[in-house]
Amino acid sequence: MSSLLRAIWDNTYGLLVDDGRLAVGALAAIAVSWIIAVASPSAQEIVGWVLLALVVALVLANIYAAGLNARRRAS
Amino acid sequence: MEGTLALAIAATPSFIASSVEFVEATTIVLAVGMTRGWRAPLIGAFLAVLTLAAIVAVLGVTLVTVVPEHVLQLLVGTLLLLFGLRWLRKALLRFAGIIALHDEELIYQREVRELRAQGLRKTDFDSIGMLIAYKTVLLEGTEVAFIVIAFGAASVAEMTAAISGALAAGVIVVAFAALLRHPLTMVPENWMKFVVGAMLVTFGVFWATEGIGGEWPGDAVALFPIFAVVLATSWTAVRLLRVVLPGGARVEARNV
Repeated sequence: MSSLLRAIWDNTYGLLVDDGRLAVGALAAIAVSWIIAVASPSAQEIVGWVLLALVVALVLANIYAAGLNARRRAS
Repeated sequence: MEGTLALAIAATPSFIASSVEFVEATTIVLAVGMTRGWRAPLIGAFLAVLTLAAIVAVLGVTLVTVVPEHVLQLLVGTLLLLFGLRWLRKALLRFAGIIALHDEELIYQREVRELRAQGLRKTDFDSIGMLIAYKTVLLEGTEVAFIVIAFGAASVAEMTAAISGALAAGVIVVAFAALLRHPLTMVPENWMKFVVGAMLVTFGVFWATEGIGGEWPGDAVALFPIFAVVLATSWTAVRLLRVVLPGGARVEARNV
């Protein structure tokens, strides 16, 4: 039973997370946007763009890090 | 007529995303069927479809009817963002030549080789074939179920569209595979995976924002500029990788 639950957990986790840093970063981006939305109700119209900007920065940073990693392994 | 067109448009994201998963599942089921006979893999695939139908029915209906709207939007947005970023990252690394492109023919040949090596006595029921088909269809199908729930969780109408898109994708892919008896290598999977990743991230940002109480100017129209930004980011990311790693595909780095 525990191995079945473990397999279900592994598959579900694998569906969502390929790189843990990217997943944690995405959750942090949502949390930051949420804090902004709660702290300043007038920011409701810009909070979406803030989240998008954070996601863009996250993707670029993650991909850049992946490239550096690959270059280090290759050299 | 207008209603059908609206349904077709709403079902398109789910159709494209699900097609990729159905192609992957079909490749493995074909490999099992062609090497070990069809009875066991078809039973395995059928059982997996039943399991998936139960998952979608329970989770989908619960999400749409029980969970409050804002919580649902945040949950769906978060899951879509995580799911989409995973797809997008892999697609970008593939385009930059850092990880290998997805190749159905290669996967098919490798699976056939492994299955032949295991052997089979003609009198036995092929439990291995059934299990492989069950696990593959269940795993890829879970992703389809996830896609359906993610694209359809906003309302009953969108759930209907998402289910229709996934069903249409399943019927078309399986019909073509049955006709050709060969993996669907002509499907531009790598491009589709990239587009799906970008779409999932777009929907993820949109729904997560709605879930935390944010508002988009023009409501759903905002999906277009968000998608454009995600595409521009992807293009920049691939250019960035080509600067960091001009060698691209020559780099043997699988786990970056």
